[in-house]
Amino acid sequence: LTDKPATRPQTIVLVEDETDLATEIKAELETRGHLVRTASVAEAADAARVGDAAMMIMDRIVFGQDSLVTLEALRKEGIKVPVLVISALASVDEKVKGLTAGGDDYLTKPFAMVELVARVDALLRRLDDVRTTKLRVGDLEMDLIEKTVYRGDTRIDLLPREFRLMEYFLRHPGRVITRAMLLEEVWQYHFSLETNVVDVHISNLRKKIDTKGPPSLILNIRGAGFMLNANA
Amino acid sequence: MLEFFRFSAVRVALAFVLVTTVATTAVFGLVYLEIREANEARNRLILEAEAAKSADRSADELRTAFEVRLTHDLRRIDYAALFDSNHKVMFGNIDMLPAIEIDGKSHYVTATRVPDSDNSREPAIFVARARPDGTIMVLGRSLLESLAFRRIAQGALAAGLAPMLLLALGIGVFFARRASRRLTAIHDTIARIVKGDTQRRLPVSSQHDTIDKISRDVNLMLDEIVRLLVQIKGVGDNIAHDLRSPLAVVHARLERGLESPNDEQLRASVKQALIHIDKAMLTVTALLRLADVEYGPRSSNFQSIDLSAICTELFEFYEPLATSKLIKMTLETQSPVQIIGDGDLMREAVSNLIGNAIKFTPENGTVSISVTREDDLPVVRVRDTGIGIEPAERDKIFQRFYRTASGHRVPGSGLGLSIAAAIANLHEFDLRFGGNDPGAVFEMVGRRR
Repeated sequence: LTDKPATRPQTIVLVEDETDLATEIKAELETRGHLVRTASVAEAADAARVGDAAMMIMDRIVFGQDSLVTLEALRKEGIKVPVLVISALASVDEKVKGLTAGGDDYLTKPFAMVELVARVDALLRRLDDVRTTKLRVGDLEMDLIEKTVYRGDTRIDLLPREFRLMEYFLRHPGRVITRAMLLEEVWQYHFSLETNVVDVHISNLRKKIDTKGPPSLILNIRGAGFMLNANA
Repeated sequence: MLEFFRFSAVRVALAFVLVTTVATTAVFGLVYLEIREANEARNRLILEAEAAKSADRSADELRTAFEVRLTHDLRRIDYAALFDSNHKVMFGNIDMLPAIEIDGKSHYVTATRVPDSDNSREPAIFVARARPDGTIMVLGRSLLESLAFRRIAQGALAAGLAPMLLLALGIGVFFARRASRRLTAIHDTIARIVKGDTQRRLPVSSQHDTIDKISRDVNLMLDEIVRLLVQIKGVGDNIAHDLRSPLAVVHARLERGLESPNDEQLRASVKQALIHIDKAMLTVTALLRLADVEYGPRSSNFQSIDLSAICTELFEFYEPLATSKLIKMTLETQSPVQIIGDGDLMREAVSNLIGNAIKFTPENGTVSISVTREDDLPVVRVRDTGIGIEPAERDKIFQRFYRTASGHRVPGSGLGLSIAAAIANLHEFDLRFGGNDPGAVFEMVGRRR
């Protein structure tokens, strides 16, 4: 697995026919250092074909056309660019459709910008090799085969769900992770919750992994969610 | 008038009249034919017997006998004559030998000139018999009597049929009028409902007939439509209310922030504005979700799912939250409780119930979840020892956006129970509420099919 930053495309291609929303998304991502180009469905497809897109953000319905058709065609051609589908179609069935057509993530409108940014970051930094057997941050090490977690020499016993939660953080170090992302990825819950259950789970996990006291390995990001402290 | 004949009752009446006429006429005709047949057969026999009897008599004896017969016994023999071997009349009241076989059998002759008349003709039967001396004796009988009988039969038929037809028509018209009155009433009512008088209902008589049955069905349908209309209007009002207030707050906060002299206050205002916008977005998301469950097509995801497994998983998900609030949480599940449904939706519904229970239960309270089969029906029960719900408010809790007076202090879109109820309904479950004294019990019970 070789990372070649020099040849990696940097541009995020945005397909969104609501001009105001497109402007906001572009501005938000640009303040975070991303290059963003707005495009029509056809232009985006071309950019993907020539390898000119780091990832794509695609509105589900663009000018009355279902952009999933194009996405499906791209996937059939073997083009693997990460795609985040955004849509006002909220049902689970629609989400499933979006994901089976080749979307890597599906975000329902209306969404908060932090949610979008977090998902874009997650897709951009997606670990290419899912067969990694060990994940590490600082002196915390997770063995995916042995199902063990060590902080230094101390073994930490995690419940299965806590293990998966920790694994998700370890796979996205230094990235903002929202509560909705955790619900979807760790618990497979595709509905919104009004309670702060996730926070309680995080706080329980912290109690187990922060054997050395503060600062915690998992940081609270106000108004957004959490982040694994990659510099710990 | 044309309108009148379109009513099925009139058509039925007319058909009834037609059938009655045909049937009655057929019966009359049959009786008439039978009687005529018997009469004619009798006449034929008499004629033939007379002819046979007279065959051996001498011509003179015959002449006398004919005169007696023709003058005194008119009822039985109308025609009598003796012809010579050249077919010329010797005596009697027939001029010409009828064109029949001379075999002693009776034959029908369509038109025979009536004796002693100018030109009138009548149907008759004749017998011609050859005598030993070569002469031919002919006897005949007029069938005028039969004609008269037919006329009488026709007259009787007409006399009997006319009042019956009138009666049938009358009854038909009566029913048609009545049906037409009822249909007109229904028509008028529908016109009023269309114009917006949605409280009106179709008239239902006490007759329990088809029109009543349909009217009743339509009324039930109208009730449901009106219920939905009221609900939609309520939802509209609630959306307006729930979105307008956060928007107004946002507007005010931002305005105040802009007017403030220092950046710190501006930042604080913006932050607060964001919180209210998030709340509004939560509401919109919940509303979309609800509309999706209620009005969307039935999920294609229906398959066999285990309620026990779903509840166990949700128990594990929520228990840390309960513990952090010093609430004891218990779970009671039997063996798998399989139903056909959408696992994601069921998880969402039960999650709403558990989330609510924890939300409204104070410290040191208990939230217990149980999954059972009772009377062979699947039951998911979530019991809490929270603030409960006032009896007066119990009917309203499933209404959209409804939050109890005491619940207003707890954040939420107010749509959780509505969504749970909609999901339950989609799975043919009922979401019921009961008091737990203190606290509340929510149970989802499968409907008996």
